[in-house]
Amino acid sequence: MKRFAVLQLSGCSGCEVALLNAEEWVDQFDLEYMTLVMSAYDVPEVEVLLVTGGVRTEEDLYRIRRTARMADEVVAVGTCAISGGVANLGDHRETQDVFLASEERIHLPDLLPKCRPVDSVVKVDRYLPGCPPTPRLFMAVLKRSPDLKIAKTVCQECGRKKVREMRPKHLYGSQQGEVLPEVCLINQGFMCIGTSTRGGCLALCTIPGYPCVGCRGPSDAFIEKESQAWFKSIQRVFSHMTDIPDDEIETALRSPQLSLFLFQFADYAGARLSQRHKDQVV
Amino acid sequence: MTTLTFPLSRIEGHARVVIETRNGNVISAHFQAMELRGFEHLVQGMPAEQMPVIVPRICGVCSTAHHLAAVGALEDAYDIELPPLAVKIRELMYLGQLLQNQATSLFVFTLPDRLGLTSIFESAADDQSEKIRSQIAGRALQVRKAGTDLITLAGGQFIHPIKAVVGGVTSGISAEAAAEMRTQLEHALPLACELYDHYWEASLSQSERLGTWGDDSPSYYIAAIGSRSDNYYSDVVRVMSPEGVICDSFPARDFREYLTLEDTDYSYAGYTSYKGEMIRANSLARVNMGEPAGLHHTDRYLKRFREVFGRPAHAIMLFDLARGVELVYTLERALQILDEPLDIEDTDVAYTPCDGDGYGLVEAPRGPLIHHYKIEKGLIKQAEFIIPTVHNVRAIEKALRTAAERYINSKRVDMELERAVGRVVRAFDPCIACATH
Repeated sequence: MKRFAVLQLSGCSGCEVALLNAEEWVDQFDLEYMTLVMSAYDVPEVEVLLVTGGVRTEEDLYRIRRTARMADEVVAVGTCAISGGVANLGDHRETQDVFLASEERIHLPDLLPKCRPVDSVVKVDRYLPGCPPTPRLFMAVLKRSPDLKIAKTVCQECGRKKVREMRPKHLYGSQQGEVLPEVCLINQGFMCIGTSTRGGCLALCTIPGYPCVGCRGPSDAFIEKESQAWFKSIQRVFSHMTDIPDDEIETALRSPQLSLFLFQFADYAGARLSQRHKDQVV
Repeated sequence: MTTLTFPLSRIEGHARVVIETRNGNVISAHFQAMELRGFEHLVQGMPAEQMPVIVPRICGVCSTAHHLAAVGALEDAYDIELPPLAVKIRELMYLGQLLQNQATSLFVFTLPDRLGLTSIFESAADDQSEKIRSQIAGRALQVRKAGTDLITLAGGQFIHPIKAVVGGVTSGISAEAAAEMRTQLEHALPLACELYDHYWEASLSQSERLGTWGDDSPSYYIAAIGSRSDNYYSDVVRVMSPEGVICDSFPARDFREYLTLEDTDYSYAGYTSYKGEMIRANSLARVNMGEPAGLHHTDRYLKRFREVFGRPAHAIMLFDLARGVELVYTLERALQILDEPLDIEDTDVAYTPCDGDGYGLVEAPRGPLIHHYKIEKGLIKQAEFIIPTVHNVRAIEKALRTAAERYINSKRVDMELERAVGRVVRAFDPCIACATH
């Protein structure tokens, strides 16, 4: 059986918990290392190493360098491993200074100045975006299954109908106290970016009525382009479907919740990221 | 001086235990949380209404609790009264969270200690034990999955849920979806009882072998549960004295008058005290405080627990056994709620955002969780996250010291200490991602 390991850097364990829910692997793969569920001191040689979390502390840095060489293939899993994640939002210069000064400790691994993506330290072979990726996508990565059809966008998986006559004037969706069950969330005044977000999650947020925040990252059409291209395409969708002022859209897109995901494959916080090719992204 | 360092596994996040000794005397026993992302800093300036989706990212294990605490804090600030159906659906979300958490703690984190394995996913050495192990593992994952599916049903997705919004929840639950969930929970209930019985027996024989149930020093307990045990949803934190009397209660807004939070230089998580005293939160606190719920299996297990261990029970390995009572409770209580119509009324109310202070309180699996936001011009000016794991840090260190003193003398360190450290920490089921955030 194929041997795999999970290395958890600084993150929330959500990716690990999602993997636990993809129970199928239990009979098909040998899990060699994953501290959330087993006592083991070191990662042995494995075919696949899944890395979750960002490189936040000196210890993270040491562990990823030491561990990556034990694996034939390294997969960066989740927003934190791909971009530094939520912790990277705190990397604005001003918060950084306050933050690092107030959190200094002795006897502990030091915090790095930035929470870095995994591929800023070691070579990454594949990327699995999602916050967290769903169990189905974990299985696709482990099995390398070519038969898994992933829709281009969340919009294609959602199935809510676009209604030409419903043109909201503001992003007031969440304050109305009601979400119509079958109508597109953009028509209802939500900042939903499922139109250009990578599919594969089976639209699990938008179907029950919560707008897509883009955690799967951009679709193939935008993944190798700078983030501005994705931004512009989202703005075009909104000016086509709504009467919401451009600056309102822009502010919403640059708010932390969305920029966290919108920039994960590009240039958020000014980190110089290596080029990620679309063929590497699941 | 000798320093013993124990890396920890089968808990959420990165932590280690460091014990210092001199001539066989234990000088200190520290529980060190070793990561920090800095949520309190990085949410400053965020639009307040994005908090319910941002803060679940504090922790993938406890994301439902943060999701609910965040909407709670905003609703407190905006002075919103929830429609009753939204409360029910949020309770289901919460029950799903508790179910998946207790199943994970019992069967993935601590059961390997009872079976002498490094992991529930590791094959046992001989055929007979392997047969038992794989049977247990399969059933444990089914029970756990019932919890995550319940969160998905009520919360939209099971990690970082989305369906609780300011003013309510985005949708109700259709009769068909509720019926399907009921079938799954009805199937999981006998499995959970069976697994818990097995866990109970394994724990009894382990404690007999070790000659201890762990540190049993009397302690204060805190929990945000109501006076009936079918009410895990309370707007006050209650305090139980070491003698078992409810001696205090307070709303989240007043927590500073009762709880003191302090930092240490050896951990990215601090610790909490109640009026200077050590406290314990989590399953044992709730089981010590809870009353029979009118639920057949839950009441039966609660009765047995009290008959065997008394009330209040103090030994720390009983946290694990208390978790089993709650595992069964979540299933029975969720079945009760799913029997009611869940899609015939409004699930949320319209609202107007405003500035001010908001406090959200949730009894998370590890104890009372408080979110406090100060909102100015619609943005977060300041945020505080009062984390249940932090309430237990002093109790964890006390129990570690007790274990260290038991297994260290001037001649030698008994290697049982390493296993004891694991058992002690796992009894409290600490969550480091939350504790440090």
